[in-house]
Amino acid sequence: MPKNEGVKEEVHEKGNLLGILRNALAAVRKEDTVKLKDLSNRTVHSASIQQDPDSVAVAVIVYSLSKIIERQKYTSYKEWPKFYKNYLASVRCAIKDLQSNKLEKFREDLRDIQEGINKLSGKFKQYIQDVFRKAEINKASRVYEHGISMEQTAKLLGITIWELAEYAGQTGISDVNLTVTMPIKQRLKQAEEIFNS
Amino acid sequence: MAKEKAIIFDAGTIITLSMNGLLDVFKNLKEQFNGKFLITEDVEYEIITRPLKIKKFELGALEIKQLLDENVLELPSSVGIKDSVIQEKTRWLLDIANRTFFVKEKYIHLIDRGETSCLALSELLSKKGIENVISIDERTTRMLCEKPENLHKLLETKLHTKIRLKKENLAYFSKFKFIRSSELVYIAYKKNLVKLKNENVLDALLYAVKYKGCSISRNEIEEMKRL
Repeated sequence: MPKNEGVKEEVHEKGNLLGILRNALAAVRKEDTVKLKDLSNRTVHSASIQQDPDSVAVAVIVYSLSKIIERQKYTSYKEWPKFYKNYLASVRCAIKDLQSNKLEKFREDLRDIQEGINKLSGKFKQYIQDVFRKAEINKASRVYEHGISMEQTAKLLGITIWELAEYAGQTGISDVNLTVTMPIKQRLKQAEEIFNS
Repeated sequence: MAKEKAIIFDAGTIITLSMNGLLDVFKNLKEQFNGKFLITEDVEYEIITRPLKIKKFELGALEIKQLLDENVLELPSSVGIKDSVIQEKTRWLLDIANRTFFVKEKYIHLIDRGETSCLALSELLSKKGIENVISIDERTTRMLCEKPENLHKLLETKLHTKIRLKKENLAYFSKFKFIRSSELVYIAYKKNLVKLKNENVLDALLYAVKYKGCSISRNEIEEMKRL
């Protein structure tokens, strides 16, 4: 890739991620979970093309936020206020650092969210870990839907093919007409030939 | 003398069958098949080594490992193909596959090692005169090989951008033959290898594999049931 094309892409990606994170904070204030899910989906295009870990991480963090806000039961846990406050603080820091082009700091801010989860305890920790795992699987399914192979997608999101296959099977991904690449009679003939030869 | 033959399995097919409790049917199919059921070492990692460390999938991985221990599944060394040769061919094919579609000047990384190693093994088997097909449940590799124009359209539709294509790369992928877990369960059903007896068994088998990740459409299933 020519150098200036790469720089242009990076600037475009930075702008895209900044917009998504800023809008996500605004959506959090209004508890608008639909908007949060939509914002998370907007990173899927770049996650599929660029396959950069930053887009993937932001997609997962924003989608997880929508799920956490949606399930009010989490607020009853003792650890909730501190966890939520730190989560949003990390998102704010990420915006500030990305804006100042401090990419390493930005990535640290995103990692802080994960570390915050590791410090939780008991059932609350399990619930939040589960939210993040499901967010990764959900985002993986979207990337797979965009045409990236199952194994490559699983690798990108850090999940297993087992998890992705199970989730993708419940969606309508395989019902898209373009995925039919051979008449079924012909494929069955191919299968029968190898078994009967 | 009968011609040597083999079915190469990608991770997805075995996972689909395992998650549906259909590995016994898989074993029955092998007994009827006068050839080899092969997996590459990259696929072995995805279906045995890695899931053995994850509690949720440990049982499935152990069951698949047993298939390997009992030689129902075999590694390519059983037909005299070294893993190092597969690795080299895999790297070569991977490089071409992932430099075929691009946006502006950025190549789209489409497929990964496990899927590509199946293509590499297929090519090596064909060179040795061993008839083979690849059983793969995910759709991208199959689309790249069988109908790249559909993959091109899918990428453009989903990514909302103009995707460019290096047409000269496609020739490397046009020679592979594919089946899926859906065709395997269909054959098993037709050969009476499924113990469960009920008029809806075929319907149940086909939808079961679909819902665990086999890329087959409802229309295809309905057509299969009518055949």
